[in-house]
Amino acid sequence: MDQSLFSQLSTLGASLTLLYGFLLLWRHDLRSYVDAFQGQSVVLAVLFGIVGYFGNDPELFIVAAVFGVLKVFIMPRYLRQMQKRFAVEREQAPYLNVPASLILAGLSVILAYALMRPVVALSTLPTRGGLPLALGLIFVGLLVILTRKKAFTQVVGFLILENGITLLALLGTYGIPLIVELGVFLDALMGFLAMQIFIYHLHGTFESIDVDQLNQLRH
Amino acid sequence: MNNFFLEVAQGLLALGLAPGLVGFVRWIKARLQNRRGAAPWQPYFELAKLFGKDVVVSNNASWLFHVAPFIVFGSAVAVAWLVPTVFGPLLFDGIGDLLAVVYLLLLGTFFLALAGLDPGTAFGGMGASREMTIAAIAEPTIALAIFGLALGAGSTNLGQIVAQTLSNPALAVSPGHLLAFASLFIVTLAETGRLPVDNPSTHLELTMIHEAMILEYSGRYLALIEWASGLKLLIFFSLLANLFIPWGMATELTPVALLVASLVFLLKLAVLGVVVAVLETHVSKLRLFRVPELLSASFVLALLSVISSFLLR
Repeated sequence: MDQSLFSQLSTLGASLTLLYGFLLLWRHDLRSYVDAFQGQSVVLAVLFGIVGYFGNDPELFIVAAVFGVLKVFIMPRYLRQMQKRFAVEREQAPYLNVPASLILAGLSVILAYALMRPVVALSTLPTRGGLPLALGLIFVGLLVILTRKKAFTQVVGFLILENGITLLALLGTYGIPLIVELGVFLDALMGFLAMQIFIYHLHGTFESIDVDQLNQLRH
Repeated sequence: MNNFFLEVAQGLLALGLAPGLVGFVRWIKARLQNRRGAAPWQPYFELAKLFGKDVVVSNNASWLFHVAPFIVFGSAVAVAWLVPTVFGPLLFDGIGDLLAVVYLLLLGTFFLALAGLDPGTAFGGMGASREMTIAAIAEPTIALAIFGLALGAGSTNLGQIVAQTLSNPALAVSPGHLLAFASLFIVTLAETGRLPVDNPSTHLELTMIHEAMILEYSGRYLALIEWASGLKLLIFFSLLANLFIPWGMATELTPVALLVASLVFLLKLAVLGVVVAVLETHVSKLRLFRVPELLSASFVLALLSVISSFLLR
């Protein structure tokens, strides 16, 4: 019973994180991207706690706390500050329109299922049901980065992608050692800060955070 | 034999409740907007009035215009008999499963669109083309969403799906079911012409869809079409209520169980009606070109539901 409850919960959590990823492809409003990222991080932090509880790994509670502070409070806060500055901007005309990118994302999740099939078949972990969803989330993050024009959206896409990798590690191995996890968090934070500086420069130079503008630099 | 009569009664119950449900949603909506609103049973009077009136038909209309209301109404009634409302596995399950339900619904939509085109008015044509745009994405989504459930239950029979969910409650909180519910809910709003997609309470908007198609209809033809669209709302509500939350449905045919099941069914309809009314008060209409975005999101949800049910099997 415990095991089946665990696998139900982990699959449910993985599906929820994937759904939050889909929100990024569906909405046009920069503000809703931050909300989606924050919601996804909350679910992921809870999932860390669940895996820690059922997997008897107290270390994961620490990871959940650090993860929660970093991705539920600090990063969304900076993202909101940034978003307020570019309040007029919306993801109006992405490279790929919304219906097409949504359906492509659905197909990429099917691809993830196909790729993960042997792994899931071999695995005996109760969390194996969520593995393809985690890979799907990585694909969705990639799709956001590839098809969206605003630098802000791409940054959130990157953070979603990073969440996907964390989810895959969590479900596949019940979390990597604490010290590695902390290093990864620090990397993510540094990457995020660097991208933030980049966006501010982009906005300072072109009065817009449209990455299309970078083409002007060729002349 | 007894079962047979009960089954017929179940369909008739749906038929009788449909206008009341429409009126109920309208009434709740009016209260939410600080209006007094017409009483919930107002649609019955409207139907009675319309049935007593003559039909005015354009000279340019062909036989299609006369046949369409009967096909629209007939297909909706047929579906009403196939969808479990008060009690579980049906006798009529052998006649049609979810594919029959989906395509009977589409048949009605198709003929309504044809009838909209037939008299050659500008509005009818616009409404028909919009309806087809929406139906093209909505119909496969319904099929996929219910198919996600069918995979979990191992049968495409609606009654069987209900029985399976009743005997295995863990199914109801599986991701496949939740995704399918969300996707079917969005499609319900689109198919029954509810607010983010179409505004049910106006004949005066340039962006109307359903009302634009039936603009040329009058008298008893209009009554049939209005009744059919009310029935469609009831069908979608009972799909949402009974496929995903089947508790309270009668599985054995004792009078007490049937009475309780009927009350529970009314309660479920009322809850869904309130949810839809609150939603309609809360959201504004989407631009027509954003509607496909909403519907493709719901299509993807249905697709994911099928995938995850397939994997968890």
